[in-house]
Amino acid sequence: MAELNETIHQTVRLRIMASLVTLAPSEEVEFTYLRDLLEVTDGNLGAHLRKLEEAGFITLNKAFVERKPRTYISATVDGRKVFSEHVAALEAIFKSKQ
Amino acid sequence: MNISPTEAEEALAAIQSMMQKTRRAISSSGAYKFLILWGAIWLIGFLGSQFLPKEVSGNVWIGLDILGGILSVIIGVGLKQGVRSSTPTTSGKRIGMFWLLLFLYCAAAIGVAWPVDGKQFAMFIILFVTVGWIAMGLLLSFASVWWGLALLGLSLVSYFLLPDYFYFIMAFVGGGGMIALGIYMRNRW
Repeated sequence: MAELNETIHQTVRLRIMASLVTLAPSEEVEFTYLRDLLEVTDGNLGAHLRKLEEAGFITLNKAFVERKPRTYISATVDGRKVFSEHVAALEAIFKSKQ
Repeated sequence: MNISPTEAEEALAAIQSMMQKTRRAISSSGAYKFLILWGAIWLIGFLGSQFLPKEVSGNVWIGLDILGGILSVIIGVGLKQGVRSSTPTTSGKRIGMFWLLLFLYCAAAIGVAWPVDGKQFAMFIILFVTVGWIAMGLLLSFASVWWGLALLGLSLVSYFLLPDYFYFIMAFVGGGGMIALGIYMRNRW
C-alpha cells in the first residue's frame, strides 16, 4: 500500500513537488520562475528546497546564463516515485471517507 | 503519519491546482503579450483603413507593422526563460522556420494575385495568419484552435457578406478579440 511522506506533505513542499512533476523528466525550472509560480519569498523557497534536496527528491543545478548565476530545479526519479506514492495514499484516505 | 480524509482532500486539491497553474504558466509563457500587442495593432490599423484615405491608411499600416515587429523582438528577448530542457530540441527553431516560410508563402501568394485591393490584401494576411495559428494550436495547445477557426470564419463572413464593414469588424472583433484573449490568458491561465 502507498504511504504518505512527511517531508513532502508540508504545504509549500507539496506544491513545489506538484509543480516539478508536471514538467517532463528532462526539464528543469528556474528558481525565480518557481518562486513567482508558488508566490513565496526567496528565503522560504530556499529553505524548502534544501529539505527536498537533502531527502533526495530534487536536484539543484547552478549555471550561468548570460553571465548571471541561475539555479535550476528538477525532480529526481526517486522524488517523482515518492510523490506519486504520496498522491496515491492521499487518494486512498480520501476515498475511505466516501 | 495520519491525516483525516478532509486533510487528504485539501492536499489533493492543492496538488491539482498547482499542476494546472504550472501547465498553464508554461503553455502561455508570455504569448498573451503578443496577442495584446498585435490586437492593438489590428484595432488601430483596421480603424485607419475604415476611416482614413487609402494612402494615409497604407502608411499607418507600414508604421504599425514596423513598430509591431520591433516590439515583438523586444518582448521575445525579454520573455523569462523559466523552464529549460536538458535534451536538445529543435522544435523552437522549427516553429520559427514555419512562420518565416508562411510569411514568404503569403508574400508570394499576394505577388501572384497582384493587383489586389486593400480588403484582398488584408484577407490574404488574415488567411495565412489563421492557418499558422490553427497549425500551432493542433501541435501545441488544442484549445486555441477554436479561437483561430472563429477568427477565420468571422473574417470570411465579413469579407463576402459585409464588405462595407469588413475593416470595422476586423478592428473591433478581430483586434478587440485578440486583446480580450490576451487579457484572459494573463489573468486566468
